[in-house]
Amino acid sequence: MNYGPLLFLGFFLTVASSWCGLVLLPQIQFGRQQAVKIEETGEIYPQARSGLAEQGRQIYRANGCLYCHTQQVRAQNYGADIARNWGQRRTVSRDYLYDHPVMLGTMRTGPDLTNIGLRQSDTSWHLLHLYNPRITSPGSIMPPFRFLFAKRKAGERPSPDALKFPSGFAPASGYEIVPNAEARTLVQYLLSLKANAPLPETK
Amino acid sequence: MNAPAPSILNALSPSDIEDVAERRAVLAEIDASCRNTLLLLFGASLTWLLLGTVFALIASWKMHAPEFLADISWLTFGRVRPFHLNAMVFGFSTQAGIGVTLWLMCRLCRTPLLYGWIVDLAGLFWNLGVAVGLVGILAGHSTGLEWLEIPPYATPLLFVSYALIGMWGILTFRFRRERHLYVSQWYLLASLFWFPGIYSAAQILLIMQPVRGTVQAAVNWWFAHNVLGLWFTPIGLASIYYFIPKVIGKPVYNYSLSVLGFWSLALFYNWNGMHHLVGGPMPAWLITVSIVASVMMTIPVVTVGLNHHLTMWGNFKKLKDSPVLRFMVFGGMSYTVTSLHGVLLALRSVSEVTHFTHSTIAHAHQGMYAFFTMVMFGAMYYIIPRLLKVEWPSAHVIRVHFWCAAIGIMFYLVPLTLGGVLQGLAMNNPDVPFLDPHKYSVVTMTLPYLRMRSYSGFLLAIGHTAFAINFIWILARWVKTLRLPQLATPAPSL
Amino acid sequence: MIILWILFIGSVVVLPGTAILAFGWALRHGEFEHLDKTALSIFDEDEPVGVMTDRFPDSDLHPEPQAMPPASPP
Repeated sequence: MNYGPLLFLGFFLTVASSWCGLVLLPQIQFGRQQAVKIEETGEIYPQARSGLAEQGRQIYRANGCLYCHTQQVRAQNYGADIARNWGQRRTVSRDYLYDHPVMLGTMRTGPDLTNIGLRQSDTSWHLLHLYNPRITSPGSIMPPFRFLFAKRKAGERPSPDALKFPSGFAPASGYEIVPNAEARTLVQYLLSLKANAPLPETK
Repeated sequence: MNAPAPSILNALSPSDIEDVAERRAVLAEIDASCRNTLLLLFGASLTWLLLGTVFALIASWKMHAPEFLADISWLTFGRVRPFHLNAMVFGFSTQAGIGVTLWLMCRLCRTPLLYGWIVDLAGLFWNLGVAVGLVGILAGHSTGLEWLEIPPYATPLLFVSYALIGMWGILTFRFRRERHLYVSQWYLLASLFWFPGIYSAAQILLIMQPVRGTVQAAVNWWFAHNVLGLWFTPIGLASIYYFIPKVIGKPVYNYSLSVLGFWSLALFYNWNGMHHLVGGPMPAWLITVSIVASVMMTIPVVTVGLNHHLTMWGNFKKLKDSPVLRFMVFGGMSYTVTSLHGVLLALRSVSEVTHFTHSTIAHAHQGMYAFFTMVMFGAMYYIIPRLLKVEWPSAHVIRVHFWCAAIGIMFYLVPLTLGGVLQGLAMNNPDVPFLDPHKYSVVTMTLPYLRMRSYSGFLLAIGHTAFAINFIWILARWVKTLRLPQLATPAPSL
Repeated sequence: MIILWILFIGSVVVLPGTAILAFGWALRHGEFEHLDKTALSIFDEDEPVGVMTDRFPDSDLHPEPQAMPPASPP
C-alpha cells in the first residue's frame, strides 16, 4: 500500500486547520477594520502618521527597539500596565491599523512605549535620552544611540538644535552634539505614540 | 562497495532487501553517498554556530554593560540580537537539521543519496541567502518581524534552496526501497512539508501583501511557533526515536504510542501560536484557543516522554559509554521539561507574571538548545564517523563539549527562569519602580541574572569550540586516509 | 456573520474530522498492523538488537562491539 498520499493529506489537513482558525478567521473577523469617528472629540482614529514620524518608525524598526520595548497595554487588573500609567486603557487591534509592520514586542527590558508621546512629550528629553540613556535615566541599561548624532566644532554661539547637557555629560569644550535626521525623525515617531482615544470597543 | 550502484530502474520495483551481503553494502554505500553533501551542510552549520555564539555573547554582555561596542551602529543591541537568532535558527539549526534529516531518510528508506548535487546546490543557495540576510540585518534592513527579520531581498535565495530540498525529498521518498515507514520518517516527511508551507504563508501575509492591524501579530506568532513545533521539534523527535534505540540496541518501547504521539502533535501543536500574545490586543477567543491547544500538548509530550524513558529503562548505565546517548537523553529529557513548562506558561495566570520577562527567553533556549541543539550534537557525533569511516580523534574533547554544553545551559536556564519570574512579579507591583538605581527596581534586579547568563554563555562557547576542534581534526585524519590508502588501518566496524 | 460560522465549523470540525476519518480508514485497512516489525526495522544482521552501536573513541572495549545478552522480546 502506498502510504504517501495519505500521509501528505494528514500533514496538510493538520496545518491547514490551524491556518484557518488562527489566521483566516481573525482576518475575517477584524482584518478589515477601519478607522472610526470618536464621539467625544469628533476626530477620526487612528490616523496615518506624519511623514517624519513614519520615517522615524523605520529607524525604530531598523535598530530593533522592539526587542526591549513593547507597544501593547494590557487590561486593567491584568498585570500592572495601567497602574504604572503606561496607558489609560488597554490597546486593541484598531490602534495598530496603520502600523507596517505591527511591532507589539515581547520583552519589557525597558518600559512599554504605547503612550510614550503622552508620558514624555519633551523633545530635548528624548534626544538626550537617545544620545546617552544614563543622562536622563541613571541606572538604565538601554544602549546609547550616539551614532544617530553628529559631533562638530561649536561656533561662537551653539547651534539651535545642539543638545543641552547637564554638567558632567557635556562633550569636550569647543564641541557640540547635533541630532542627525534619523534622531529627529525617531523622536517625532516617539512623540506620535498615543493610544488613549476612547474607542467604542474599549468602553 | 561491491554491489553495483542501484539504478533508478532497480528502485522502481522496490522490495525488502533480503540478502545480507547486499544489505551491508547498501548501508555502507548509503553512508558514502551522503558524505560530501553532509560534510558541506554540517561544516556550514558549525560555522554559523560559532558565529552565532559570538553574537550571542556580544548581545548578552551588552544587556548588563550597555557601553560595550556601543558606537558601532552595525553592532547596536537591536541588530546583534536578531543576527544571533537568525544565525542560530536558519544558519546552524536548520542546516544541521536538514543534514540529519537527509541521513536518516537515506538510512530509513535504504536508499543512497540520489541527486546529491541538488542538495549541494540547495546548500549553496541557503548559505548565500542567510549570509546576505544577516548582513542586511546588521545594516538596518530588518523587517521588524520576529523570526522573520531576514530582508526580502535575501528570501528568494532561501526559497530556491528549499524548493530544491523539497524536490529531493519527494524523489527520495518515491524511490525508497524500504516499504515500511519508521516513526522517524513520518516526523521528517511532515516537517519537510510543513516548513515551506508556514514560511511561504508568513512571507505572503506579512511582507508581500501584509494584513492589517494585529492580524499581523496572529500570523507572526502562528509562524514563529510553528517553526519550533512543526520544523525543529519533529526533526529532534525523529532523531531521538532513531538514535536512542540504535545506540542501546533496543527497539522503541511501544511503537503504537509513537503513532499516538505523532498525530496528536500534528493536531495540537500548530494551534499554540497565540500563547505568545496572552493579554495582548487580540480577541479573547483567539488566545483561549491557543491556551487550550497548549494544554492539550500534554498528550503528545507525555506520550513521547514515556516512550523514550521506557525505552531507556534499564539502560541508563550505557550513558557512561556513549557520547551520542548522553546528548540524546539530555535532549529528550529537556524536551519533556520544556514542553510541560510551556503548558504552564500558556495559562493566563502564569503568563500575567512571566510574559515580557527573561523567563520567556530562558524557555526559548531550553527548547532550541537544551532539546534541539543537544540532539543535533548527538546526531552529528553518530553520523560523521560513519561518513568518513574514521573515529573521533579525542574522547577528552568530546567530554569537554558535553559537560560545557550541559552545565552551561543549566547555568543559563535556571537563573534566567527564576530571575524572569521575579522580574514579572516586580513589574506587576506598581509600588516597585521600573528603574531606580538606588532601590529594588524592575530593571536593576535583573542584572545579576543577566550576568549569570553571560558567564554561562562562555561555557557554551568553550563547548562549541571543542566540537569545532574535533570536527576539523577528524576531517584532517580523514584526508590523511585518502592520501595513503594502502597504509590505512582497517576501518573500525562502527 | 454567517460566514464566520461556516469557516469556524470548517476549520474546527470539517478539516480535523476528515483527518480523523482518514486515520480510521488507515486503521481499517491494516496500516497499523506489524507495528512491532516496524520498530525492529532499524536493526539488521550487522547491528542487531542487543548490541550498542556507539562508544567513546578511547573506550577500552574491544573494537568489535561485544554482543550483549539479547534483549527480551518487545
